[in-house]
Amino acid sequence: MKDKQSDRLNIPALDCQKVVKQFRRGRGFKKKVIRALDGATLTVPQGELFGLLGPNGAGKTTLVRCIATLLIPDQGTIRIFGNDVFQDSLFCRQRIGLLTSGERTLYWKLSARDNLKFFAALYGLTGKQRDRRIDYLLDLLGLREVANERLERYSSGMKQKVSLARAILHDPDILLLDEPTLGLDPQFGRFIRQFIKEELNQKQGKTILLTTHYMDEADELCARIAFINRGRIVDIKTPAEYKREIPHKEVLEIRCLGQPDVNGLKNLNGIEQVQANFNDGITTVRIVLPRAEKVLSEVIEFLRPQARLLGVDVKEPTLEDVFIYMTGTSLGADTQEQTED
Amino acid sequence: MAHRRWQIELGAIAAEFVKTMRIWFSYPIIMVYWAVFPLLWVLPYVFQGRALVGSASSEAFRQLTGSGNYLAFVLIGAMISTFVFSALWGVGNSLREETYWGTMEYIIASPTHPLVILIGKTLAEWAWSTVMVIFQAAIIALFFGVQFTLAKILPVLLLVVLLMIGFYGFAIAFAGFTLLIKEVHGWVHTLEWVFFLFSPIRYPVQVNPITAALSTLIPLTWALVAIRGIILLNKTEINLFQTVLVLALMDIVLLTAGYFLFIYLERKTRRDGTIGMH
Repeated sequence: MKDKQSDRLNIPALDCQKVVKQFRRGRGFKKKVIRALDGATLTVPQGELFGLLGPNGAGKTTLVRCIATLLIPDQGTIRIFGNDVFQDSLFCRQRIGLLTSGERTLYWKLSARDNLKFFAALYGLTGKQRDRRIDYLLDLLGLREVANERLERYSSGMKQKVSLARAILHDPDILLLDEPTLGLDPQFGRFIRQFIKEELNQKQGKTILLTTHYMDEADELCARIAFINRGRIVDIKTPAEYKREIPHKEVLEIRCLGQPDVNGLKNLNGIEQVQANFNDGITTVRIVLPRAEKVLSEVIEFLRPQARLLGVDVKEPTLEDVFIYMTGTSLGADTQEQTED
Repeated sequence: MAHRRWQIELGAIAAEFVKTMRIWFSYPIIMVYWAVFPLLWVLPYVFQGRALVGSASSEAFRQLTGSGNYLAFVLIGAMISTFVFSALWGVGNSLREETYWGTMEYIIASPTHPLVILIGKTLAEWAWSTVMVIFQAAIIALFFGVQFTLAKILPVLLLVVLLMIGFYGFAIAFAGFTLLIKEVHGWVHTLEWVFFLFSPIRYPVQVNPITAALSTLIPLTWALVAIRGIILLNKTEINLFQTVLVLALMDIVLLTAGYFLFIYLERKTRRDGTIGMH
């Protein structure tokens, strides 16, 4: 006979089943129904660092907001350790820590310590227990020396550290981290990533749902990743399994000055997929194909009359290539919202 | 030891009170503004009254209100309306402020209900407006000759408490409404002018039968008539009892309606997905 403890351990930390969320936008005859989540289903076992990867508008934030009880879904169920988040919201909210992107999520006129004291009270932390916890977190995140300064004097990265401290203030079992490194400089981004993986997941054993549209971040941090596109979970696998989705393939990456028309490349023999990103006057063309050297000269011949070539590289497929391969959408793109009139 | 729910909520109310005060004190100029504004606002009406009737007292005014002291009438109206308008602005606007600061979603996502936060804000608003009104009363007593004896202050306090309980119920509903409409200033200004028109803050509503009839629906009217009666006319206890009863009934209606409206509107914004929107 199984004991209660092992039963409890077998319950998934997070279980979302067929979650649907529609928004009504616009007025009068122009009113549209936007389907932000279209039956999203995923299960996260206890202690896993799980990634939700998708382009802007894919439904990542909507799903996180539903789990955090900020949004009430139209259909489907969301359970935290077997408890429905809306029927047993007190239990679930106490077990969830939330971190969203953006600087404006704290009281800038208060110090880091006063911010944390306020949010601690909302979770029932008071007195010496609260002060010890706040001191511990300020030390852990390297904020002790500036703890009594108003947040308006902090950099974006420091504010995000305070947000992270708030998310874990009440020692939650599950962390919902929605684009936690968005807009941070590389140094702070690296610190936050390392903290999430090593301290929160590996050391403290927290279950983490991380949304991102940075493929490197998902690849580096997550044990498993769900690809989400147009409100649907496309697939759930480990990063290594995803990369095996396009076996025996290479990625030919060409950087060139200007903005060449790359559509013609798709007609060349052996080319399976072409993706181009234009940024700061430079176009990066990524071509998925079985063997790069076979068509390299033809590709260069095609591009040379249109743009000045800056570099050519042959790479292993990344998660982004897999995502494009599976959905036809780039992670950097904005997903067209699904509408129903 | 685990805290009980009510202990956690009391802690959250106290934390909200402290947070609101700290944020206010970080803007000292606004505090000075709110301290002098009610008096600066009232002085033109005082001078206007003097210009119209030639002194601080008027026989026509006495026939309408029972007291010819126009000056005291307007000053009492200014004092009591300070409480009402600070409740509307402070509590009604408070969740809009949280949304603007980007902290609203974190409050909603916590186990503490936003109504608990509103109670904390209400207490902070109450404390602040009480300080302002004491300041105003001191100036009125010193410079305008209105006397506040203890025998008068106690029933006035009772009436103010009863008036404000109902108004905070109204302000809580208004706070929920602002979550939905994402706008405060236009609505508060409109409500201010409705109160100025249909309650005797600045003038006796009896001058017009329509305003006189409609004013009875507003608790501020009942409170102002009774408070002026106590301070200016030394009215009997029977009149006070009637007003207390009416205000208590209005409190029950406004608090109940405010609570349920807030719950409904907060849930609606969570369903619509607009809780964090500006």
